[in-house]
Amino acid sequence: MNQFALWLASTPPSVFIQEHNAWAIPAIQSVHIVGIALVMGSVLMIDLRILGLAWTDSTLRQTTNRFGPWLTGSLWLLLATGLLMVVGEPVRELVSFSFWLKMALVALGAVVAISFQRALRRHEQQWERTVAHSPSLKLLAVVTFFVWIGVIFLGRLIAYDHVWGSWSPAQRL
Amino acid sequence: MLEWLQRTAVAISIRDSLYTFPVLESIHVVGLALVFGTIAILDLRLLGVASTDRPVSRLMADLLKWTWAAFALTALTGGLMFSTNALVYFHNTFFRAKMLLLVLAALNMLVFELTARKTLGRWDAGARTPPIAKVVATMSILIWVGVIVAGRAIGFTATRTTVPTDSQPDVNFEDLLGLPK
Repeated sequence: MNQFALWLASTPPSVFIQEHNAWAIPAIQSVHIVGIALVMGSVLMIDLRILGLAWTDSTLRQTTNRFGPWLTGSLWLLLATGLLMVVGEPVRELVSFSFWLKMALVALGAVVAISFQRALRRHEQQWERTVAHSPSLKLLAVVTFFVWIGVIFLGRLIAYDHVWGSWSPAQRL
Repeated sequence: MLEWLQRTAVAISIRDSLYTFPVLESIHVVGLALVFGTIAILDLRLLGVASTDRPVSRLMADLLKWTWAAFALTALTGGLMFSTNALVYFHNTFFRAKMLLLVLAALNMLVFELTARKTLGRWDAGARTPPIAKVVATMSILIWVGVIVAGRAIGFTATRTTVPTDSQPDVNFEDLLGLPK
C-alpha cells in the first residue's frame, strides 16, 4: 500500500493537486462536508420517520422517496470528492488506520441504506403495515445513524492518525 | 479577555490532551452537518425544489428543533476549540469571516420572520412560495456553504497549539484489548 501510495503521488493529477494544495485541498474538503451535511440530513429524516418523531403525515415510502435519491446522490458526491482527496494526498489517506476503518463503516452504512430501500420497494404493503412499527427497524434506524456519526469521526481522525498509536501504519513509516 | 480564556483550566486540559481536540472537531462536524442538512431541507421547500407536497409549517415543526439542538452542539464545541488558542483564532481572517457569516445568517432569519413568516397562513400548503421566501432560502444556502468553507479554511491558516504529533498516546490499544505487541 505504501508503494501504491507513493506511485499515486507521482501521477500528474496528484501532482496537480499537490501543487495547488493551498486552495485545492480546503476546497475539496468543503464540498465533501456539504455532501456529509446532505447525507446526515437525509439519514436523520428517514430515521426520525421510522422512529415516529417526524414526517408522521407521510408514509415510510413517501419519506424514503423524498430523501433516498438525495442520500444516494450525496454519497456519490462524497465518493468523488473523497477520491480526489486520496489522489491529492495518497500517503496521508491510504497509510492511515482511520481511513480504512472509515471505509469499512461507509461500506456498512451504504449496504444498509441500499438493502433498506430495496426491501421497502419490494414489500411496500407489508412494510407500511407491520415492519415500519417493529422495534428491530427502530433499533436499526438508531444504529445506522451512529454508523454515519462514526464515519464522520473517523474522517476527521485521518488528520490525527497518531491517536491510534501502533495501530496506525503511519507510525511505522 | 482572550488571554484569560486560553489560560483557563478547560482550555489547558484540551491543549494537553491528544484526543480532546480531534473529538471536539468531530462533534463539530456532526453538529454542522445536521445544522446545514436540516436547514437545506427547509430552504429547498421554500425554493419549491423538494417536499412541495408538505406544508411549510409542518416542515418547520419537524426540522427546526433538530437544527437548534445541532447548532447548540456546534457552538459549544466551536467555543471550546476557540478557547484553546483564542488570540490566534480571533485575529484569523477566515474566523472573522465565519463569524460575520453567522451574523448574516441570523439577519437572514430575521428577514424571514418579519416578512414571509407573517403571511405564512396564506401560502403554507401551496407549492408556490413568496419571492422574499425564495430570496431568504437562496441566501441561507449561500451563507451556510460560506460558513463551511470559511470554517475549513481556519484549520489551514490558524496555527493550532496542541501537543506535538510525535508524542505517544496515553492509551495503548494493544494493552486495552490484551493483544500481542
